[in-house]
Amino acid sequence: MSKIETKDVHLHYKDFHALKGVSMAMEPNTVTALIGPSGCGKSTYLRLFNRMNDLIEGVRIEGEVLIDGQNIYKIKKQNIDHLRRNVGMVFQKPNPFPKSIFENIAYGLRVNGITDRDFIEAKVEQSLQQAALWDEVKDKLKKSAFELSGGQQQRLCIARALAIEPSILLMDEPASALDPISTGKIEDLIFELKKDFTIIIVTHNMQQAGRVSDYTAFFYLGNLIEFDTTKKIFTTPAIQETENYISGRFG
Amino acid sequence: MTHLDTELNELKVNIIEMWNLVISQMNKGEEALRTFDRDLAREVVETEKRVNMFDLKIDKDCENIFALFQPVATDLRLILTSLKINNNLERIGDIAASIAEFTLKADRDFNKDILDRTKIFEMYAIAREMLSDTLEAFDKEDTRLARTMFNRDSQLDDLDSRALDVLTQSIAADLDQVRNNLLVMSMVHKLERVGDQTKNIAEEIIFYFEAKVLKHKKRKEKLK
Amino acid sequence: MKFPEKSDRKKRLTQSFMFWIARLISYSIVAILFIILFFIIRQGIDVISWEFLTTAPRDGMTKGGIFPAIVGTFYLVIGSMLFAVPIGVMAGIYVHEYAKSGPVKRFIRIMTDNLAGVPSIIFGLFGMSLFVNQMNFGTSILAGSLTLGLLALPIVIRTTEEALIAVPDQYRHASLALGGTKWYTIRKVVLPIAMPNILTGLILAVGRVSGETAPILFTVAAYFLPKLPSGVFDQCMALPYHLYVISTSGTQIEASRPMAYGTALVLIVIVLIVNLFAAGLRNYLGKKVKMN
Repeated sequence: MSKIETKDVHLHYKDFHALKGVSMAMEPNTVTALIGPSGCGKSTYLRLFNRMNDLIEGVRIEGEVLIDGQNIYKIKKQNIDHLRRNVGMVFQKPNPFPKSIFENIAYGLRVNGITDRDFIEAKVEQSLQQAALWDEVKDKLKKSAFELSGGQQQRLCIARALAIEPSILLMDEPASALDPISTGKIEDLIFELKKDFTIIIVTHNMQQAGRVSDYTAFFYLGNLIEFDTTKKIFTTPAIQETENYISGRFG
Repeated sequence: MTHLDTELNELKVNIIEMWNLVISQMNKGEEALRTFDRDLAREVVETEKRVNMFDLKIDKDCENIFALFQPVATDLRLILTSLKINNNLERIGDIAASIAEFTLKADRDFNKDILDRTKIFEMYAIAREMLSDTLEAFDKEDTRLARTMFNRDSQLDDLDSRALDVLTQSIAADLDQVRNNLLVMSMVHKLERVGDQTKNIAEEIIFYFEAKVLKHKKRKEKLK
Repeated sequence: MKFPEKSDRKKRLTQSFMFWIARLISYSIVAILFIILFFIIRQGIDVISWEFLTTAPRDGMTKGGIFPAIVGTFYLVIGSMLFAVPIGVMAGIYVHEYAKSGPVKRFIRIMTDNLAGVPSIIFGLFGMSLFVNQMNFGTSILAGSLTLGLLALPIVIRTTEEALIAVPDQYRHASLALGGTKWYTIRKVVLPIAMPNILTGLILAVGRVSGETAPILFTVAAYFLPKLPSGVFDQCMALPYHLYVISTSGTQIEASRPMAYGTALVLIVIVLIVNLFAAGLRNYLGKKVKMN
């Protein structure tokens, strides 16, 4: 059974047909990159898995979205919170809360009703270690998260997502607002994290897709054009549009 | 270690494995010739397929790394170097197999005396050492060791021309041995080619570590 | 490349002319404020004394102080805020965080804006008819507070809404994506971030409420009441109404003129202090939110 699977998913946003029957499956402990020009539906597709599309008014979704074999659009409304605890998300712009570094990570734990101080402290350290940020911040956990650089803030957001132990990590252009060095760090981190998580990453940066992912899906105008191993897509794509896009000869 | 580092490391491991396989092919070929062991010679010919598989795999890996990581600087040179070393190793693998095939084509045991006088085993020894020393130079980033290949290659060239004299004489002297002597001549030529290929590898290694292009320069310049 | 020399001169002159006009206007606004302040201070400073601040008026309001009016205003502000803040903040949260955009939300918003535009004397009349007469509270602190609260309500709703709009969605999304419920997100993330702005709005509402005369005219204000109120059903005096009374309908208007200026000075100082406090609080909380 695949970790994540979509079967003929259509998404309408008011009159706009944003996803036109997307079917694909992702295996556990892999990184899948979603690429394609702006407005192709890749971010919309990503947000299916933690139901963040639900926040937009006028969204209609058809088809099946399965995580561990369960259709997440058939669950009770009050269980969406549980779904989101299992499916972490990192956003395009680093968005730490205006709280201390410590509190940022503890937040997700407190959401889950955890109050044991020792447990929270241990978890904060563990998550920061996992996000390769611990050494840089261990002496200033009480300082505001806003004192960190952009790249550090984004790793803090990753640590925050990891703290609640999701099994899936969604990343929406996680490095697009960062400088090349920070980007490199995030990419190395993704490579490390796939040991423990199933990762889906949206990126505008083709090279990044090549560097971090095992599988690549190319979206265009709401259609899934091609989905294969990243090696295959980047060396011998089967479809001409894919080739044009990855080689920068698009449109 | 970054993702790219991991990939490059794996590539390097593959190349070194292929290298060792080629060295073992050379050794087995020599052994087959020395003991006139047809089974061993056949094994060498068969094992050539494995060398070719390495060649394909390394080519594919390099292609993927180019496509996925867009390597630059040292990383780029390592991949370019790997591609060329791979090419040369594959040729040397071919050579080892052809020598084994020559062994199989002999219509009788080789004349020990001829083999000794052509110094074919000495050539084998030099070629084998060159191969393992370039491997060491590659593995330990030792460009000085790589530079010794130019001299050793000319030793092989000398031995090759001397073997021609020896074989000319013995072909004229002993008509029964003509086929075998021609085969020995071909083997000697092949061993000389191993020297050339290994020298190319040495040039690539120096390019990789020092970013200097040594190809097509005069020998004196190369040695400095 | 050539640079024209003459034609630019005119452009430059027009530009600096407009710039100076704008600067002059903005300076003159500050100047007007200072002139008013200066005028009131000069007229009123002489009567300010400990006695003026702590005793009740005597001798047809030509002597004594304004203590009951200060206390009354204080009660009314507290009372109106107790009513307006919870309701207004909740309404603001509902309108911005929960209500789906559509005719209902638009209607609520239009109504709130209209409520804010209603003249304050209408609030006074409405308060009198509903609280004083219908609900039988009589002219009392309760009726006055509720009326002032109604007046403050649209301000509170609007500032709450504006404060919530100013909270970037990325914080909401971050919290929701971590499995936070909507209410948890609002409580733990959105409100703390919006709090400085909400508080500023509330304090400005306090300033507005403390200066209003019309709404308390028929609902609470006493013409003259030397003793302090003892409960919410008592009448009380209030600074703006007191000022109005002694400058228009006293028995000895001329004699009580200095008292009027003194009252005005106290009122304006209170409003200024409240506003400065609002600014300070916003700065402080703004920093604190970032720090935590």
